[in-house]
Amino acid sequence: MAFPVILSVANEVSGVEGPAKPLRDEILAVIEAWHERGTELSDDEFSDLALRIVAYQLQSNEPYARYCAAKGVTRGRMPRSWREITPVPAAAYKEALLATFDPATAALTFETSGTTEGKHGKHYMESSELYDAALLAGFDRFMLPDDARLHYLNLVPNPAEKPHSSLGYMMARVAESRGSGRTGWYVRGDALLLEKLFEDLRDTVAHAQSVCIAATAFALLAFLDAAEAQRLRFPLPPGSRIMETGGFKGRTRTISRDELYARTAACFGIPESHVVAEYGMTELTSQWYDAIAPAGPPTAGLRPFARDDKPQAFARDDKARRKLGPTWLRARAVAPDGTTLPDGVVGALAHVDLANLWSCVAVQTQDLGACFGREVVLIGREHGAELRGCSLDAESLAAR
Amino acid sequence: MRALNRVCERTGYSVPVVEYAIDALFSSITLEAIDTVMRGELGSAHVEPVGPVAVVSSRTTIGVAIVPALFALCAGCDVHVKDREDALVTAFFETLAEEDSRFAVSARASQWCGEAQAHDLRLYAAVVAFGTDETLRAIRAQLAPGARFIPYGPKASIGYVTREALSDSNVTRAISQGAARDLVLYEGQGCLSLHALFVERNATLGPQAFAGLLASAIERANIEFPIGQRDAATEARIATERDLALFRDTVSYSNAQASFLLELGEPDRAPAFLPRVLAVHAVDGPNDMRAYVQRHSLPLEACAVAGHRDDVFAAAIAAGANRVAAFGELQRPPLDVKHGGRPRVAEFVR
Repeated sequence: MAFPVILSVANEVSGVEGPAKPLRDEILAVIEAWHERGTELSDDEFSDLALRIVAYQLQSNEPYARYCAAKGVTRGRMPRSWREITPVPAAAYKEALLATFDPATAALTFETSGTTEGKHGKHYMESSELYDAALLAGFDRFMLPDDARLHYLNLVPNPAEKPHSSLGYMMARVAESRGSGRTGWYVRGDALLLEKLFEDLRDTVAHAQSVCIAATAFALLAFLDAAEAQRLRFPLPPGSRIMETGGFKGRTRTISRDELYARTAACFGIPESHVVAEYGMTELTSQWYDAIAPAGPPTAGLRPFARDDKPQAFARDDKARRKLGPTWLRARAVAPDGTTLPDGVVGALAHVDLANLWSCVAVQTQDLGACFGREVVLIGREHGAELRGCSLDAESLAAR
Repeated sequence: MRALNRVCERTGYSVPVVEYAIDALFSSITLEAIDTVMRGELGSAHVEPVGPVAVVSSRTTIGVAIVPALFALCAGCDVHVKDREDALVTAFFETLAEEDSRFAVSARASQWCGEAQAHDLRLYAAVVAFGTDETLRAIRAQLAPGARFIPYGPKASIGYVTREALSDSNVTRAISQGAARDLVLYEGQGCLSLHALFVERNATLGPQAFAGLLASAIERANIEFPIGQRDAATEARIATERDLALFRDTVSYSNAQASFLLELGEPDRAPAFLPRVLAVHAVDGPNDMRAYVQRHSLPLEACAVAGHRDDVFAAAIAAGANRVAAFGELQRPPLDVKHGGRPRVAEFVR
């Protein structure tokens, strides 16, 4: 890799002390080794580090320790492998203060976008090094395997306006350390700055400058609707790519991912393999990405999703993309009783993210998916239950 | 039996649940009950039928189209039920036709294929429809000008246990059994399903002790009315609710499989609207219930009440309940009760 991922730890700016420091340094070393040399953690190595992080968190994160105790896990009765670590429900970040340190001293605070009865979930980081290293290493591997220097056009929250958006922070860090100097932000409040985006895209095309467009699925769809209504297309220069993220959580207008990617590819004149879905969440530090890489010169060297790789057990969606994470991030699909489901069986995804040192190393989501070894197929992101009547639902006949 | 199996297949409910639904539905349809409704709503005056009636059925409820279809027939209308995949309405109409051949013409049921048939709705003088607000808006847009629209939107039901009812252990046990049945039937998907329960403080039996009794009753009800098929997303949501309860300052009851969840506390928490998940709130009086319903904008269908107190009845009605019932009877509405606050037959005549 051409870029370093550990930018400030050597200067010890964060002042992390105590039992967290050796753990933090060890995780940073894992990230650096994977980023620089492709060093993978074995299952045993992953478990070993994960369990030491759990022990630390049981000692320093009281709500998590109480929760684990209710589930029969204590420092005296530890899980035996990473697959047995009690995951905290992602929504618990709204219910409790989940941090291993005094949040008043947090270097970073991220808030979930959705609210439950007015409450935001908060994810506190004692220092920024882990977050920065994890996000940059993952982005380098899955979005920039060609070390491309790109313009970044961001249809995600602008950190200047929403400083607690993890997605906005992520793209700001990426653009700052990996970009070619020009970064645009096209979300203000709830509005998309479409005219400005159209103008910048025209400029990009005119100057043959490759770009990375980072967009939530909903923003991307809104952009496509507007561009198509005006019969606009923006054939992006070679090497350009799209990072789609966030799904349609909480939105009323949704389309299939296949349609979204086909329309995106058509609008920007790029292959669908250059539309890469990132799967992350505020409650995690690290991210998953589609296992396709927009690598190399123009379209050469791209590896489209290999259907032949797919085990027969999973037949729900023939076109489902698999996602890969960095070596310090693993997932399992779980049944309601918390047991791990076999590969290819759909359940709720639980993530173990070693970079989640400052809160809870294991996070249980309601996102449905199936695992295939280290890979994940995401079936659908969570959506809330709704009031039903004597009535639900004549939905299929709802004229649209 | 064929209809029962197909209803089970369509709804995912277990056989005992579907059997209960069919028993409850058809046992309520008596000549006396029909006569009471006809006299009560129409009197003895001669009336003209409104014209041909369509009933657009819903997916999750069982035989929901039968009662409006029946009263439309009683009003002299031709009725066409746009049914779901099962054969319940068809079988019912076939039985009617066996009794009186005129019904072979006036009562028809066919499978509803959605948008492709939407324009057919212009043929009817009145359309009864069940669905979400969005669905109902879409259906309404398909009607002929001047056609009568009789919508049934999303509703929920609640329960209230007075301190007087908690003074007798036998009564208390019966209340808990009834509430458990109201909760587990139809996996929370009916408008008569119990989603929030209010228990008065300062009784012989406290709210927490009652919640414990109720949890045991739910475990037993889970045996009598087994859980049907749940999709993975629903299972994950219930398991998450169960786990999140451990972070709250509440008392909760559940099990490893998350087959049910009962949570006592957090008076401001909105209902979860998940199968066999119930929020129990300790309250000082019925105004607390009314305030809760208002705070969460709950569209109420019914309120189960234990204990005879005028202030509770008044609060339930003021909160929007169309019906007040005993626990255990919530999901067994009598035929002569106005469902959704609407008359049974008056809307099918001119």
